[in-house]
Amino acid sequence: MKIVVNGKALETRPGVTLADILAGLNARAARVATMINGNVIPAERRAAAVLHEGDRVEVLAFAGGG
Amino acid sequence: MRNITKSLPEWLDPSQWISREYGSREIAAALESESPGPGDLAALLAPDAAYSLEILAHRARAVTRRHFGRTISLYAPLYLSNHCSSGCAYCGYASDRDQARRKLSLAEVRKELSALKRLGLREVLLLTGDKTPDAGYEYVEECVRLAAGMFPFVAVEVFPLTVEEYRGLVAAGCSGVTIYQETYSPADYKKYHRWGEKKNYMWRLETPDRALDAGMRWVGMGFLLGLSDPVVDSICLLRHVEYLRRKHWRAGISVSFPRLCAEKGGFKAPRPVDDKFLARMICAFRICLPDTPLVLSTRESARFRDGMAGIGISKMSVASRTSVGGYAGKVRGGGEQFGVNDGRSVREFCARLKAAGLEPVFKNWDAVYR
Amino acid sequence: MSGRKNESRKNDDLVLGKHRFVSRLLMGTGKFRDRAAMFKAISASGTQIVTVALRRFGEDGDSDDLLSPLLRIKGLTIMPNTSGAANAEEAIRAARLGRELSGSPFVKVEIHPNPHHLLPDPIETYKAAKELAADGFVVMPYIPADPVLAKRLEEAGCASVMPLGSAIGSGRGLATADMLKIMLRECAIPVIVDAGLRSPSEAAAAMEMGCAAVLVNSAIAASDDPPVMADAFASCVKAGRQAWRAGLMIRSDNASATSPLTSFLA
Repeated sequence: MKIVVNGKALETRPGVTLADILAGLNARAARVATMINGNVIPAERRAAAVLHEGDRVEVLAFAGGG
Repeated sequence: MRNITKSLPEWLDPSQWISREYGSREIAAALESESPGPGDLAALLAPDAAYSLEILAHRARAVTRRHFGRTISLYAPLYLSNHCSSGCAYCGYASDRDQARRKLSLAEVRKELSALKRLGLREVLLLTGDKTPDAGYEYVEECVRLAAGMFPFVAVEVFPLTVEEYRGLVAAGCSGVTIYQETYSPADYKKYHRWGEKKNYMWRLETPDRALDAGMRWVGMGFLLGLSDPVVDSICLLRHVEYLRRKHWRAGISVSFPRLCAEKGGFKAPRPVDDKFLARMICAFRICLPDTPLVLSTRESARFRDGMAGIGISKMSVASRTSVGGYAGKVRGGGEQFGVNDGRSVREFCARLKAAGLEPVFKNWDAVYR
Repeated sequence: MSGRKNESRKNDDLVLGKHRFVSRLLMGTGKFRDRAAMFKAISASGTQIVTVALRRFGEDGDSDDLLSPLLRIKGLTIMPNTSGAANAEEAIRAARLGRELSGSPFVKVEIHPNPHHLLPDPIETYKAAKELAADGFVVMPYIPADPVLAKRLEEAGCASVMPLGSAIGSGRGLATADMLKIMLRECAIPVIVDAGLRSPSEAAAAMEMGCAAVLVNSAIAASDDPPVMADAFASCVKAGRQAWRAGLMIRSDNASATSPLTSFLA
């Protein structure tokens, strides 16, 4: 099925979770914040957050800013 | 549809400033002014200016540093197609030119974009010729969508579109539209745009408005130096920018200085602009538009680019190919729109910038997250 | 004005919501040439609050994880900013993401719709600040130097207001001084000058005026030696604060000890 992660189209298997996506991005070690379709998903809920066709995922981290 | 204007819109009309005399007093006033306007620009560009370009350059550099620090934003152009239906007298892509025509397939676009990404680039400008059935709106939209999945900032420099079409591009991830009026003089515009949709002066003039109405974040403006009177066109360009800033207060606006240069068809610039004048123009625009990104492409020589980087200029293209594709290896057919005079690689150019105390930036902090 | 008396240093903490800080210099983390310079500057400045921005993970290669090294600095509070947000809804979303990541309730609400002058949108900022304050955030809104807006934000529950000294990149230092002074007379919450400060002496001037703190980013990051500049700013912020507490001799047309004008009436 197709989802969008950080603006980029991604082909994944059905039943994939947000935690799986983060693992795929190698984001486990780094600290990230996540959203699905504009809703903030806290860390403890990522393993249970199953993704569906057309979902828009954002994975964010801190960067320098004023 | 009208394709010539008998008189320019009031907000664009330069008449009030072009018939004046500009002497050292007007120039001094322009340099003192808190908010320089068209009259000040005209004074700074006056042909008999008795002041030194050096003073202008120092001021331009100081103003650039205040607003942009020592950063130079970098981007690369990607020509998607050189199919063209229009007849611009000065362009290598005009439909009557003997030019191998080429359009990149989506797979090829992806390859080219990957190559650009590997070079470190994070901003891409997608270009086509004027509208053709082969490379129309749908094609541009698909390419934008593809590019937006790979680059944080995607802009297009293509034929003028409708508001609905610009909305489509915005939804596909487009952040900017570059459109040059070529010349603001209706008479000269008519002379050099011989056939095709491009003949329509007003349609082109109103393009930035349509793009911004559609929610486009940035527009890139400019006129083709060498085509018509550069002082008159400069005043019009400044007025156009001021008009857009007032009408679209959330908009980002940048200004470029494309200069006519050699192309295969042998068109000679009727009003050529030399390096000194272009340098003065850039400085004058920097003084009049202190917080506006000013852009210089690889049409210009390495020497000129190195000289102007940080002195007015805050954004530059790099490692450009003006043939269709060309980054991922040899592309069959699809020749150049114009000759590239600065062929330095990204690495070389960044090293040069750093040596001059400037900081190449590939991604602007303004990159939006939604 | 309370706090003017020469009390012990312990009582001159910067109070934001329920949180207390010793340092009155806040720092931004943007525009540094490299990470090493940034961390050295943070250390040299003695700052206890730094702002960070939120970006998509994975776009910048090595500079992805700013959080871990920041978390290692003892006593540092991370204040995510909402820059990139174009309206209240986006800013609120950014704030929630920032809180999840930083673990801190601090947020700098920053909404600037125009990319040229980068001036803050008072209407979207107010909307976002009100909702975030109700949601338990320690809200620090970046605003134009508008005394009325400042009181509105105070009533909406903000922990401070952060008026700009001058527009980013304008190089005008404390151009908004007159408005700041009105704000300082009327605000019950700390007034923290953000944006426009070019030099340590300008930071000192802001503190001498009575500002609670200053936020500095470009002036440190873009200097030739950020750690040294950060230290200079820290010294000036301290000096300005001390001067304000000690009571500056008022420069005025009102009185002159040497030649009284009204002695003829005695």
